[in-house]
Amino acid sequence: MSIHLYLSLIPEALIASMLTPEEFGSYYAVGSVKKSRGQAIFFELDPKFRSKFFPMQEGFKRCVPHEDGTPKRSIYMGVYRVLENVPVQAIQMLYLVTQDGRTLGLQPNSLLPSDADGMHLYREIAPVTPLVASMLGPREFYRLIVHSPTSLVKLPAICFTELRLGNLAMDPQNGDLGDLPYDNLEHLRNCLLELRGKSIHTKMVDRIPPRVIAYRTIKNGFFVGNKEKLAYFALPPWDELKKTNYSWWRSAQM
Amino acid sequence: MSSNNWLLIGIMAGFLSLGIAAYLFFWVRRQDAGSSKAQEVASWIRGGASSYLKKLYRALTLVAVVIGFIIAIVFSFDLANYGTGQAVINPLLGMEMALAFITGAICSAIAGYMGMSIAVEANVRSATAASRSLNQAFRVAFYAGAVMGLAMVGIAVIGMSVIYLITRDPEVVLGFSFGASTLALLAKAGGGIYTKTADIAADLVGKVEVGIPEDDPRNPAVVADNVGDNVGDVAGMGADIFDSYVASAVAVMLLGLSFSTATQDRYIVFPLILCALGIFASLMGIQFVRVGKRGEPNEALNRGTYLTCIFFALMVTVLVILGGYDLSVLWSTLIGLLTGVVIGITSDYFTSDDKKPVRETAKVSKSGAAINIITGFSYGLISIVPPIIGIVIATLLSYSIAESSGVISGIYGIGVSAVGMLAVSGMIVSADAYGPIVDNARGIAEMSGMSHEVIERADVLDAAGNTAKAITKGFAISAAALTVLALFAAYSEVVAARGLILQISLRNPLVVAGVLLGAMTPPLFSALTMLSVTHNAFDMIEEIRRQFRERPGILAGNELPDYNTCVGLAAQGALSALILPAFLAVGLPILVGFILGPDALGGFLGGSIFSGVIFALLMANAGGLWDNAKKYIEMGQHGGPGSESHKASVVGDTVGDPFKDTAGPSLNTLITVMSLVSSLFAPVIAAFHLFR
Repeated sequence: MSIHLYLSLIPEALIASMLTPEEFGSYYAVGSVKKSRGQAIFFELDPKFRSKFFPMQEGFKRCVPHEDGTPKRSIYMGVYRVLENVPVQAIQMLYLVTQDGRTLGLQPNSLLPSDADGMHLYREIAPVTPLVASMLGPREFYRLIVHSPTSLVKLPAICFTELRLGNLAMDPQNGDLGDLPYDNLEHLRNCLLELRGKSIHTKMVDRIPPRVIAYRTIKNGFFVGNKEKLAYFALPPWDELKKTNYSWWRSAQM
Repeated sequence: MSSNNWLLIGIMAGFLSLGIAAYLFFWVRRQDAGSSKAQEVASWIRGGASSYLKKLYRALTLVAVVIGFIIAIVFSFDLANYGTGQAVINPLLGMEMALAFITGAICSAIAGYMGMSIAVEANVRSATAASRSLNQAFRVAFYAGAVMGLAMVGIAVIGMSVIYLITRDPEVVLGFSFGASTLALLAKAGGGIYTKTADIAADLVGKVEVGIPEDDPRNPAVVADNVGDNVGDVAGMGADIFDSYVASAVAVMLLGLSFSTATQDRYIVFPLILCALGIFASLMGIQFVRVGKRGEPNEALNRGTYLTCIFFALMVTVLVILGGYDLSVLWSTLIGLLTGVVIGITSDYFTSDDKKPVRETAKVSKSGAAINIITGFSYGLISIVPPIIGIVIATLLSYSIAESSGVISGIYGIGVSAVGMLAVSGMIVSADAYGPIVDNARGIAEMSGMSHEVIERADVLDAAGNTAKAITKGFAISAAALTVLALFAAYSEVVAARGLILQISLRNPLVVAGVLLGAMTPPLFSALTMLSVTHNAFDMIEEIRRQFRERPGILAGNELPDYNTCVGLAAQGALSALILPAFLAVGLPILVGFILGPDALGGFLGGSIFSGVIFALLMANAGGLWDNAKKYIEMGQHGGPGSESHKASVVGDTVGDPFKDTAGPSLNTLITVMSLVSSLFAPVIAAFHLFR
């Protein structure tokens, strides 16, 4: 049984496991006898990845099958400042797991999405988790947060996703949100309007947004970057996912 | 043509209907039952449904035997000779009535059982056929529904015709009707409790707590939920329409007793002739239920219903003109038929997601569950208006036309309207039974991992089934309202035949007491059945949580849940919950009659009819409205799934579930049973009662 390395984003953790990504996703989301459960998002890392920041040798040593021959499910090797200590080059695949354990794997894209006009809504996933409105496209948003922050706050690495704004992106005053399930719509409108009227790039919408990210609200995909590199994992169009990954799509609709 | 010949034609029509039902049964059975996985899932549902029905019918056998025994004793007293010094004990009379009662109960059980037997065979075949085409899947589901519809009307017409042919006494046919209705009430209420127990428990834990989708095989209650569709919507609704169908005909037969000897027999048999013509019309209408190239199942079902009505109207016109019946019976029949269609359409208005009430309820869900509930409840109350006005117009028109004819009584005209409305039940039930079959087909497609194309087709079929269901409910409730009005008149006739003239005046305190007690009964019955749902659902929720907690492999998909425990909990809970409602339906009218007397019982029936019809319409329509408001949001409106609007609409839908599928549909059977038991025991009550 080979050992996989996973970088979990909810919560941030480095985990060694003998489970395949699909098995790990199911185990991580629906729990075991330890009763921990919930939506999961994690990267699979290059198995050759090593870092002095984490007790990896000790972790590998402990990652052995159980006495009954079943694979070891998880050995936590780090739960703090993990993302900033993993090079983007070591990230291989992104896995999105629904609350009931359906797992979808996404490969990195060589091309970033073009920065569309209009306003944007970003859900930061790690290391912090606010919901932020911005005039900047994803690439510029990443640069602002990691490279040239206008404020004193600076992140060494970030993982975030852009959420759909529907008609609000172009018309925050009157646009219809359609099927987007955001709470407190009026507050969101006000944030977008304020952003448009001032010379600032970002505006905090919610410090503590809902714990679960509704996958169907994701506009284009997931972004993960540090000082050196920004990687992008595109989420296929929703209708296409219905055809190609029906079980995952159905659970993600919930 | 003599009445005997008409009865024979009725019996032949019944056998023709049964023969075609049998042909369709075997046609459906010959269709491909699909993959082994699909068949395995279907076998779970089939096993659960059979096990519940066996338990239900075992309990009902006991009830039927006890009531039959009481009837045999009570009706052994020949009250016609009471006080004359002649023999008052005639065991043959009692045996005759008890046998009619038990035959009615058996026929009702057979109708429900047949429908359910084919439904659990057709669901997997319809799902499998959906992998080929929408048209194929539709044919399998609809023809299976037609087995139910045709078998039901066939059995009913044969049963009533044979009993009348042998006894020549409509009061004995009343015993048959009472048997059918008693069983229908318990089957409908039990099925309603079962289906909503499973549905609510499966959704609250599966969807809300754990986040797994509908019809997911990891949910321990998913099989019970699918079984519930069959025992509630197929077996229960089949028994329910069977009872209204028979009761409406029997009420008119009883009213026929008031005709002069020369025409009495013709007008007693007339409702049976209407039923026979309704069978022929349904058989013709069913031929036109086909999905064309554009693939619109809803249009196909509506076309079948409307054409059946037109064929029936034409046949009745020919019958009345050539048969020498008074023209007023034709108008009464047509008024009933038209009212049924109009009420069906208005029910559809209040529950369709492209109409204002559902859209408005969905929209206000953004403000939370309370506003959703207030809006849905208010529209539910408004939805009472069109059917009530329809019933009022049908009642007054058929009454005045019949009364002015000088040949038939006004109340006979009202009864004929009810029969006219229900005569096309063969087609109506076919379309109604189609709904739960395609609902189950969708569940099987999900559980056995069929492709999303199959599931999308099943969704299209399912949407048409929901509309048919709403229309049938409107039909069933309105027909029951007209039927009980006729039964109420029949009750007066039976009492009058014993030398007592009912004086139902609100200045009589006994009548006021009766009205209040009667008006109290439908809400009390609704509360008891809905509390049973919450009580049983609570137990099942604990069981589902226990399974998820103790066996994590279930959610991981590594092991199967224990479906049988949930199936057993739902069955046991539903059966034990029936005792009090059954007493209310059968025992309370008798108690009121024996203690307060026939006038008070008349008031009791009046009160129960008025509050029963209003509650039944409110609950059926409000429940359907909340359900479709939730589905409308799930289609991507007002925030879509997971939004605050959706959460609010889920609360509304959960409140509405026992409204529309447990209490609401049972109420029309409740008022029918109470009217029947009153009419049946009227001679005894007229002779013996405490307050004079």
